[in-house]
Amino acid sequence: MSNTGMGASVARKDAVKKVTGQALFAADIVRPGMLHAKVLRSTVPHAILKALDISEAAAYPGVVKVLTAADIPGPSGDGTLVKGEICSDRDACFPAVRPCGVGIILKDEPVLVHDKIRRIGDAIALVAAETEQAAEAAIKLIKVSFQELPAVFDPIEAMKPDAPQVHPNNILTVRKIRKGDVEAAFANADVILENRYRTQSVEHAYIEPEAGVAEYDGSMLTLWVSTQNVHFDRKEVARTMNMDVNKVRIIQAVTGGGFGGKLDISVQCHLALLAYHTRRPVKLVYSREESMVASAKRHPYIIDYKTAATKDGKWTALKATIIADTGAYASYGPGVITRAAVHATGPYEVPNVWIDAYAVYTNNPMAGAMRGFGVPQVAFAHESQLDLLAEKLGLSPLAVRLKNVLVPGGITATGQVLKHSVGIKETLLQAAQTAQKQGPNFPKWEVE
Amino acid sequence: MKKRGVGIGCMWYGIGNTGLPNPASAFVEWLDDGSVNLMVGCADIGQGSDTVLAQIVAEELGVSFDQIVVTSADTMITPEGGATSASRQTYISGNAARLAAAEAKKVALAEAVEKLSVPAEQLSFADGYVYVSGCKSDLALKDLIACCRAKGKLTLGHGWFNPDTTGLDPETGYGSPFGTYAFATQIVEVEVDTATGKIEVLKVVAAHDVGRAVNPDMVVGQIEGGTVMGLGYATLEELEINQGKIKNPNLDTYLLATSLDVPEIVSVIVEDQEPTGPFGAKGVGEPALIPTAAAIANAVYDAIGVRIYSLPITPEKVLAALDEKYEQ
Repeated sequence: MSNTGMGASVARKDAVKKVTGQALFAADIVRPGMLHAKVLRSTVPHAILKALDISEAAAYPGVVKVLTAADIPGPSGDGTLVKGEICSDRDACFPAVRPCGVGIILKDEPVLVHDKIRRIGDAIALVAAETEQAAEAAIKLIKVSFQELPAVFDPIEAMKPDAPQVHPNNILTVRKIRKGDVEAAFANADVILENRYRTQSVEHAYIEPEAGVAEYDGSMLTLWVSTQNVHFDRKEVARTMNMDVNKVRIIQAVTGGGFGGKLDISVQCHLALLAYHTRRPVKLVYSREESMVASAKRHPYIIDYKTAATKDGKWTALKATIIADTGAYASYGPGVITRAAVHATGPYEVPNVWIDAYAVYTNNPMAGAMRGFGVPQVAFAHESQLDLLAEKLGLSPLAVRLKNVLVPGGITATGQVLKHSVGIKETLLQAAQTAQKQGPNFPKWEVE
Repeated sequence: MKKRGVGIGCMWYGIGNTGLPNPASAFVEWLDDGSVNLMVGCADIGQGSDTVLAQIVAEELGVSFDQIVVTSADTMITPEGGATSASRQTYISGNAARLAAAEAKKVALAEAVEKLSVPAEQLSFADGYVYVSGCKSDLALKDLIACCRAKGKLTLGHGWFNPDTTGLDPETGYGSPFGTYAFATQIVEVEVDTATGKIEVLKVVAAHDVGRAVNPDMVVGQIEGGTVMGLGYATLEELEINQGKIKNPNLDTYLLATSLDVPEIVSVIVEDQEPTGPFGAKGVGEPALIPTAAAIANAVYDAIGVRIYSLPITPEKVLAALDEKYEQ
């Protein structure tokens, strides 16, 4: 028998079914008597929801049910935030609030808006109908009365005390790192470089938009859904429905990519509500446009870096202020900004570090988890700063990195001692050696 | 004029959630005929965790990958695996699967000790057979499991793993937020057209320290996919948001890298083994993307001598920066 364990490039378990088209994605699932759902979403970024008139939509031929926030089972609450810190025992920190809010860290995103719209794309009402076309037509017949509010779209503006309040405090998270004495290091530095970097909002663009099917048999609620975390979905659905956690079954349908964008609740709670109220299977599949409007984005950052170094090219200090626009809801924002702060030095040992990293609410699309989770943004900054330093000192980009990389026994910005498996130096050397075999354009950097 | 340049980007990435408990678990059932059911909460979203976790169990039990059926991400069947995020599932669910397999193996090992009258330290399982001091015996694993079952001893295992971390101090950030870190260096060659500002990425050398590659082809797949995603982030992608409204909410106006944009990617797998990982493995899912934009920004500077301080590095920004440089 040939080795099929560690280190073997065996063919993937899912290869044949995907290549032959047998894999069932959520949109492929058909259940007997299945209804089709659509979501009414806000078209304004900040407003008080005054009234909803669903009568025409409910009377539209083929429509089986129209739901609003009032149809969410269980006691009511106001979704108020608990203090904006990450808590290790999330359920203890954020007891259930109703009408239900969802979110991995804070339960601040309403399943259906009951009082305030905070972004374009907020879910307001649901329709289940015999056909997708009937559901789509009925959604357009729901009359929404709202009073627009002043909105804020710039995170720096949003941090000011007189800014429009997206939530009671627009500053969602402040993550601080303090190591050594940066001011003393700047006072003694040979080279100081200070720059502002900006990064943009981007979309995950997984091939498969969000989709799911739900059914309720009177005791068990079962969902097939495109997701990155069935056990989180189970808790969110159970809390929304005021059901025991073990009465909700989440089965991951074959999932066509996620990249972090399918960590948030999308179709799950809406499907659960519709299946519960209709007692029929219900399917909800986002269009590409709905997916792009409603799903979380990569956080755009404003990054201010000030770095100090010796004339030999050794980094001695990093002072950074990082501001991330998390949009209307927290999603993974506190986690993203925490990870950005922890990783802000890059894979280098910097003895003096001062970082203030903010996640800030605005009325922009929600930002959340996306492959890299806040780190590609800071990598752009620390790698640019290092190249600027190398140029100033006449060092090669390779040499300046080799002078600064973490090695076994090295201490990170948070004081963690790295004991083993610290391969950054090896990746630099192997990448440089491999690059030099790729042709004359790759410089022959000297490895000291 | 077309000008070429080369740039380096490095990164590190903590595996798992930052300074938070984030366990995962697994069940293993080793059946009479030697086949294995592996049940994991971990969602395979296309990254290949079902495959990787089966390989880890295959290695631990000494059975073939083909004999393992994986059931993943069904809350009525599989124990909790946490999120498929934070590049954590190979390290965390991988450890859980290995521990579950080890528990099932323990029962079989005790039976082998009895059958062969050899101390456990001399026994190992590989290629479907029991090995004694590294030499293959006549005892097939499937016969061994059948023996256990005949005596009423079920070869079942469960395992869970939570990385060894501490929370971060709210004032200083002090703490050990990750059990391990992945590292990478990417070196990129670009060609910039100074007349149009267009950037073409010609070649990427991507060296990633993954601890140990469970499935090298799949590691290369992650590196290639991540690099292309990073290329899009660096040069093409941007949601245009005006007054909270996305102006390009579909793929006809939102620019993604396509097959025509994909450069030659030379992947280098570096294996600096992590003792707390399953057989030394860490993770690669997110690291694949992280250094690419940084490396491209540095390569553009090397090519044309202007530094762009905002992403994406569009032709408009390149031309504006070149104009500013020539004015000075």
